[in-house]
Amino acid sequence: MMIIGVSLVSILPRILPIALFSRYEFPKPLKLWLSYVAPAVLGGLTALSILAPEGDIDIRINNLYIWAFIPTLVIAMKTKSLFYSLLVGIVAMALLYNFTS
Amino acid sequence: MHKEELKQGIHDSIPIVLGYLPLGVAFGVLANQVGMSIIQATMMSVLCFTGAGQYIALGVMQVGGAVFTIIVANALVNLRYLLFATSLVPYFKGQVPTAIGTLLSYGLTDETYAVAMNRYQDHPPTASYMAGLNITSHLGWISSTLLGAILGSFIGDTDRLGLNFTLPAMYICLLVFIINRKSDTIVALASALLCLLIGYLLPATMGNMFNIIIATVIAASLGVFISERE
Repeated sequence: MMIIGVSLVSILPRILPIALFSRYEFPKPLKLWLSYVAPAVLGGLTALSILAPEGDIDIRINNLYIWAFIPTLVIAMKTKSLFYSLLVGIVAMALLYNFTS
Repeated sequence: MHKEELKQGIHDSIPIVLGYLPLGVAFGVLANQVGMSIIQATMMSVLCFTGAGQYIALGVMQVGGAVFTIIVANALVNLRYLLFATSLVPYFKGQVPTAIGTLLSYGLTDETYAVAMNRYQDHPPTASYMAGLNITSHLGWISSTLLGAILGSFIGDTDRLGLNFTLPAMYICLLVFIINRKSDTIVALASALLCLLIGYLLPATMGNMFNIIIATVIAASLGVFISERE
C-alpha cells in the first residue's frame, strides 16, 4: 500500500510534463526561463551537498566536504573531465576522513 | 536503437551508479532495521526510485507515523521533478517520441537530470542514450538496495573509502560543465545562496527540498531578467 502510494507520487511528476507538454511549442520567454533551470538546480544541489551533507546546514571548519570541494572544483575547471574530478574528489575525501579527526 | 548512443548512456551512468552504491546500501540496511523484508526494500527501490523520499519513508516508519504522512511527504519531495521534466521538453521535441520519452522519464533523478542536461548541450537527445543512462542508474540503485538489505549490518563504514563524496563531486563537475553563459554563473550562485538561505530560515524545506524549487524559480527568473538587459 505504502509502496504503491509513494511510487505514484514519485513517478507522476517525472512523466507528466513530458507526456502532456511535448505537443506544444513553448513561447520564447518560457524557453529562456527553462534554460536557466539546469544551472539553478545544479547550483542548489552542489551547495547543499557540500554545505549540508547530512541534511542540516553545516558551515564549520571540520566539515570535510568543504575541504574536498576545493581540489575537486580546481580539477573540474582545469581538466573538464568528470573522471579526474571524481577521482580527485573521492581520494581527497578518503584521505581527509582517514587522516583527520 | 543506436548502439553507440546506448553505450554512451551506460558509460555516463557509471559515476551515478558509483554514487548510488553507498546510498542504496544504506537504504537497504536501514529498511531492514525498521522491519521491511528484503523483497519489500528492493521493490520500493524498483517502484519508487526516490532516494530522499525513501529515506523519509523509513524515518516516518521508525517513529510509527501514518502511511498518509509518508505519501504526502513524498509528493512534496518529488514536486521538483515537475520542473526538471518540463525543462527537458524543449530538448526532446522532434528527437524523442513522446511515448518513449514519457516511459524513460521514470528514471529521471537529480543525477540523471544533471548528466543528461550536460549531454544535451551539444548532442541531441536520443531514446537509446536516455535508456542507457536512466535504466543503468536505476539498476544500480536497485542492486545496491538489494545488497544492503541482504548484507544488513555486516557492511562496514563506506565513508572510509570516500565514496560519500561521489555525488557531490559529480555535481561540482557538472555545474562547471553546464555554465556557458556569464548569466549562468550568476544564476547558479544566486540559486546556491538562496537554497541555503531558505533552508536556514525554513528548516522544513531542507527535508522536503522545497528550498531547491523556490531557489530555482527565483534564480531562473533572475537569469531571464539579466539576459534581457544585456
